Amino acid sequence: MSGRRVAIVGVGYSKVGRHSGLSERHHAAQAALAALADAGLSVTDVDGATTWGGDAIDFAHMLGISPLRWHLNVGVSPAFISPAVHAALAVAAGHSEVCMAWRIMMQQPSSAALAAGGVTLGAPSMSDTQFAYPFGDFSPTQWAGLLMNRYLHETDATEEHFAEFAVTQRGYAALNDDALQREPLTVEGFLDAPYISKPLRLLDCDYPCDSGSAVIFTTEERARDLRQPAVLVEASALSAIHNMSFETLPDMVRTSPAHCAEVLWSRTDLTPADVDCAQLYDGFSFITFQWLEALGLCPPGMAGPFVAAGETRLGGAMPTNTDGGACNVGRRHGANFCIEATRQLRGHCGPRQVAGAEVAVWANAVGPFSGAMLLTRG
Amino acid sequence: MEPPTPPLPITDALTEPFWAGARAGRLVIQRCRGCGLYIHLPRPVCRRCQSDDLGHEEVSGRGTVYSFTETRKAFHPFFVERVPYLVAVIDLEEQPGLHLLSNLVRVAEPDVRFNMAVRVAFEELSPELTIPVFEPVPA
Repeated sequence: MSGRRVAIVGVGYSKVGRHSGLSERHHAAQAALAALADAGLSVTDVDGATTWGGDAIDFAHMLGISPLRWHLNVGVSPAFISPAVHAALAVAAGHSEVCMAWRIMMQQPSSAALAAGGVTLGAPSMSDTQFAYPFGDFSPTQWAGLLMNRYLHETDATEEHFAEFAVTQRGYAALNDDALQREPLTVEGFLDAPYISKPLRLLDCDYPCDSGSAVIFTTEERARDLRQPAVLVEASALSAIHNMSFETLPDMVRTSPAHCAEVLWSRTDLTPADVDCAQLYDGFSFITFQWLEALGLCPPGMAGPFVAAGETRLGGAMPTNTDGGACNVGRRHGANFCIEATRQLRGHCGPRQVAGAEVAVWANAVGPFSGAMLLTRG
Repeated sequence: MEPPTPPLPITDALTEPFWAGARAGRLVIQRCRGCGLYIHLPRPVCRRCQSDDLGHEEVSGRGTVYSFTETRKAFHPFFVERVPYLVAVIDLEEQPGLHLLSNLVRVAEPDVRFNMAVRVAFEELSPELTIPVFEPVPA
């Protein structure tokens, strides 16, 4: 990243839960105050704010963060990576000294509520839904079913590999007090869960909830004086290769992460061999598989066997999604992976700590668009 | 109680030819008059040559199954009685990577194969709405 060296100095969650009864403002306030306390900063230190979900200007004013020298409300974009990258860039460029990045995510209506009528899922993009809805294509689980099925067709992965992946993630979740789902899971338990959009099963999907996540970016210099061990932004990348119609992607297996990873590695002297742990988006399980391959953390088409061999567990070649993933900590839309990468590099992960972790990569989204960030221990 | 109605497309000048074509039993895709690129979803400019001289043409209706998924959950009242149903991406023969989201009909999920040959058919969901769907080409 050109400009000033940037660090992550504070991370925080709101009280995350299923239909929490809290508003976006509640989640934003709780997450921000947790992140400030984590960093040892006060609201008067913050001069920048970005968010996807709600309104950064409103959140800042509510908290007494004023005036802002930098602010951005992100629209539909690759999950938390977008507000995070723009916050980091604002600090690198000198437009902000301390910038708060939020992802506020409110739980969507259930399929039962949708089937009963009266509520609909949010429309993703202008008028394009007319080429999906009349064909009964409404839910992200359906484009996920399409991408996953093509992935199974073109690679060595099997549905059992996805079961092994879910079991591995649940094993991490059992070691994480923040996880919402911690009871043991078996391969059989995974395979017994119903298909939503075959081959996509219930436990291939992240766990819907209300969540607020906040991460504070500042300069490396300032980070030295703060409460936590500094975690440095080594490189970041955003990518888009297509419009938001996942269904019309010309290639559903090598999607935006493949391009994003190329850009990311072009911006650093580090290589995939330097990475100690990976925190890779799992809104749907196959997304993590695409990222493992795109980033060069396993050979192309081999994420399934890689996971089944235990390589993503603690002690494996690439411990992955060590907080348990969004399947278990709940849908924090990628922010959990930034926060977990940060905590791993601080060495604060207790029983799920990757020993000696110095380099972590976290990445969000798939298909048309994506983003990734490489972090190092300061 | 009235039966649920299907979700109707809200069309504009760019998308109406697709839906008017379907009502007439024709599969119509936008095409650039400048360079010949088929464009789906419809857009006001050609992404290959940047021309805005765009029209719509009937295509053969032949293609192959690029991917498919069997929807088991309904996300809209109209589809409650229709689950499970097959959502599929058809690779139209006119151009590599020209993908159209549709449904597979007259085939059961276990019998669907990647890259199998399919052809367009038309299904009237309501007096206002006919959709292009795809069925296997008989051997």
